[in-house]
Amino acid sequence: MKLIKQFFMISCKEATYLVSLKEEGKLSFSKYLKLELHLAICILCKRFEIQTGHFCKLAKQHPLKPEAKMSTEKKLAIKTLLEEA
Amino acid sequence: MENNYQLDPNKWIDNYADALYGFCIVRVNNQSIAEDIVQETFLSAWKARETYNAVATEKNWLYAICKNKIIDHYRKKGATITTETEESDSYFDNEEHWTKEKQPNDWGLNGQTQIEKKEFYQVLANCKQKLKELQQQVFVLKYLEDFDSDQICSILGISSSNYWVLIHRAKLQLRNCLEKKWIKI
Repeated sequence: MKLIKQFFMISCKEATYLVSLKEEGKLSFSKYLKLELHLAICILCKRFEIQTGHFCKLAKQHPLKPEAKMSTEKKLAIKTLLEEA
Repeated sequence: MENNYQLDPNKWIDNYADALYGFCIVRVNNQSIAEDIVQETFLSAWKARETYNAVATEKNWLYAICKNKIIDHYRKKGATITTETEESDSYFDNEEHWTKEKQPNDWGLNGQTQIEKKEFYQVLANCKQKLKELQQQVFVLKYLEDFDSDQICSILGISSSNYWVLIHRAKLQLRNCLEKKWIKI
C-alpha cells in the first residue's frame, strides 16, 4: 500500500503546482496521470484548478481603464519634451 | 517622406495619453512608473517618426511601442529583484494537504450562476498589489500579455523552476484573496 501511495499519489501542494504546468502542456505523461488521478479524487484541488482557470481567463479579458487619466502636468511635460526633441 | 501623413505630437498626447496610461497602469500598478512609460513611448515614437509608414494605425503603432517599453521595464526590474526562497507555508500543512483556513471553498462555478463581474477588475487589482513584485510580474506577463513560461523566464532572467514556484504562489494568494474580497465567502 505504501508503495502504491508512493508511486501514484501526489500531495495537494504538488498537485496545485502541476496545474500551471498542465495549462502549458509541460507535464510528462506520468506526472500528468498522477495529477489527473489526484484531481479526480481531491475536490479541493479540483476547485483550485477550476477557480484559478476562471479568474485567469477573466484577467486576460481585462478592459482598458477608461476612467484612468494621466495628470495634466505630466502631459504638459511630455509635450515640452517632444517640442525639444 | 513619401506619405503625406503628418504626425502631430500635440494631438498624440491629447488623443492617446490617457488610453496608453490606462493600458500601463493595469500592468505596472504604479502611477509614476506608468506615466514614465507613456513618456518614453511618445519620445521613442517621435524619434522613430520617419519609420512610421501608416500601414499600422497610429494608435496600434503607439500601443506596440508602449508594450515593448513595459517589457523593457520588467526586464530591467527582473534583474534587480532577488528571487525568493520558499516562504513559510500557510496554504498547506506538514503533510502538504490544504490547511482548513486556506482551502478552496465552493464558488458555485459549476452551477453556471454568473458571478458578478463588475467588481472583479478592481478587486483583482487590489489583490494583485499584495503579491510580491516578481509574482505580480509573472502573473501580468502570463495572463495579461499572453507570454509563455519560456519567454517570461528570458524577459525576467529567472530559471524555469523559479518561474513555476512564482506562478504557483501567485495563484494561491490571488485565489485566496479573491475568495474573501470578491466571492465574499
